[in-house]
Amino acid sequence: MTDSLIVDSAAKIFADTCNKNVLDTAERGEFPEALWEAVCENGFHLLALPDSGAGLGDLFAVVRAAGRQALPVPLAEALLANRWLGHEGDGLVSVGLAGNGGAWSEVPWGRIATRVLGVTAANELFVACPESVVRGANMAGEARDTVTVGQVEPVEVGEPVYATLALSRVAASAGALERVLEMGLRYAGEREQFGRPIARFQAVQHNLAMAAAEVAAAVRASDAAVEAIGGKRFELEVAAAKSRVGEAAGVVVEAIHQVHGAIGFTYEHELHHYTRRLWAWREEFGGEVYWQTRLGERIAALGADAVWDFVATPR
Amino acid sequence: MLRFDGVTLPDNAADLRREVRAFLENYDGKLPRPNSDFGSGYDPEFSARLGERGWIGMTWPEAYGGGGRSFFERYVVTEELLAAGAPVVAHWIADRQSGPLLLRYGTEAQRREYLPRITQGRCFFSIGMSEPNSGSDLASVRTTANAVEGGWLLNGTKLWTSGAHLNHYMVALVRTEPRGENRHAGLSQFIVDLKGPGIEVRPIRNMAGDEDFNEVVFTDALVPPENLVGEAGNGWEQVTSELGYERSGPERYLSAFRVYVEFVRACGGSPGSSQAAAIGRIAGHLMTLRRMSMSVAGMLESGASPNVEAALVKELGNNFEKLMPELARLALPPEAHSAGFREAYADTLLHSPSFTLRGGTREILRGVIARGLGLR
Repeated sequence: MTDSLIVDSAAKIFADTCNKNVLDTAERGEFPEALWEAVCENGFHLLALPDSGAGLGDLFAVVRAAGRQALPVPLAEALLANRWLGHEGDGLVSVGLAGNGGAWSEVPWGRIATRVLGVTAANELFVACPESVVRGANMAGEARDTVTVGQVEPVEVGEPVYATLALSRVAASAGALERVLEMGLRYAGEREQFGRPIARFQAVQHNLAMAAAEVAAAVRASDAAVEAIGGKRFELEVAAAKSRVGEAAGVVVEAIHQVHGAIGFTYEHELHHYTRRLWAWREEFGGEVYWQTRLGERIAALGADAVWDFVATPR
Repeated sequence: MLRFDGVTLPDNAADLRREVRAFLENYDGKLPRPNSDFGSGYDPEFSARLGERGWIGMTWPEAYGGGGRSFFERYVVTEELLAAGAPVVAHWIADRQSGPLLLRYGTEAQRREYLPRITQGRCFFSIGMSEPNSGSDLASVRTTANAVEGGWLLNGTKLWTSGAHLNHYMVALVRTEPRGENRHAGLSQFIVDLKGPGIEVRPIRNMAGDEDFNEVVFTDALVPPENLVGEAGNGWEQVTSELGYERSGPERYLSAFRVYVEFVRACGGSPGSSQAAAIGRIAGHLMTLRRMSMSVAGMLESGASPNVEAALVKELGNNFEKLMPELARLALPPEAHSAGFREAYADTLLHSPSFTLRGGTREILRGVIARGLGLR
């Protein structure tokens, strides 16, 4: 169960403080200090600390709310770092992929991080301080830096950390998918061609209906993975969700851009901040094929006659 | 925004599931069939045995032979039957749709007449909606019922009526008043005895080689007055109220399930990576669809009329039923097709064009969803 008060107030503050200008600035490589301060002032960065009373369900609900606004700060990373390291002061702790030779890649805002967690697909977790940083970005222009680290310490948390990080992308995608669907529905009602709103055309209606169905599936898949936190099936539920949400993202982005026409293809329009993130997040912490393969190998090992039971009795 | 909340099955679901599986294991008929499609596998003996177990009309009041159980319990039984490839089609429509219709709109006499027999698996219904020139445009039906002494005289033709050559009754949607300004007005539903005089049933062979659907011709077929369902003229409201039941169940995404089972079997315990990915991709769809479909069962349980949500689940489920055999085929080279896979795949593929037609075409469903989104 999630605390709807926390989630509602987070959604409101995110909506009030994040706008096109903030997104553009962040994409130019400047950390959005004011936005991050607003997040921290309200304590959202401390959510789901062991003594906070909030759980991982709340954490992912807030991450989804952040996805709805394309919030250009490493909120999920900071929240999970707090959970795994304990909160220690004001510095930003980010989470990327631990690599050999002391170079950790895909570190969100590694350039301003005071400490960095590095994760592997085998659920190993390490912590280190950055020594040097090469700036990088994903296709959405979100800071994804390569960080050279010195002394590396292992961190034992006893949680499937890689799947938990993958779920952060799933939940954020669910939020972004809801947002782009709303944008498509609103635009179709406003934009007139041939003397009527384009929402009146059956071809447009069907495109949006299909997108709505995919969004609903993505949200249910994401929620199901969150509901599985702490259970034996958690990593497999994340696998199913990462696969399903990634597939939905491709279909929905295509449909919503088509509805928007050329204006949605401009940099000036806000749509691409969401659609590029949806594309980029598919690849982060394991692409669809990685998770599909893990899930498929497990099912194959159970055998054909156990397939139904696997689907029907998830707990 | 449309919501599909998570639902948790009641505590007794696990026991019920075990009971159904044990029943299927001990059934002496041939199981599983090569496909898990609810639309084929007509076996009145199997239906009667299910009736003995109390697994037909499960949610109906006990006074009418029902089980007084929840939609979730019904869900468990139906999904287990479909996944196992059980022959459910004989009682399927009566259990899913005709019975609930009579419970909601039927007279007390109708409920006492039909519902107990349906729950015993001895009374089977067809849906009389489509006509030669009325498919998706259901309000354009032209079959008429005229009030005469002793009842109503039916004239016209119903088409694509599944099971009419085998079932006992049809619930027919007909015009009782000439079509006026409001095209949804003047429609009524009748229970029609398919073995009665003035009714001719002609099976139509489908592309899979089966005789399932029919043409049903009414020529001055007399229907007694007590067979009117609900109010004369209220047929449109009544017929649309059936759609939540008709469109959201496990039968809307499990038609191709046996293909998946045989695909996994053919891949073996250590599949190649592209095969494993296909198995996993399909599972992601299946797990999500089941949860969405159960979410609609929860809406039905709470007394809501989730017609838009049901249309959405059917749209996604039907797309999946067509996608899945294709993913399996492409991941399995022809020389690796086992006899079991070949049989399930061919049987499912040959029926697959009907998946996005029956129970509301894809185009109609998208229209329903679009209306729910406020686009029309």
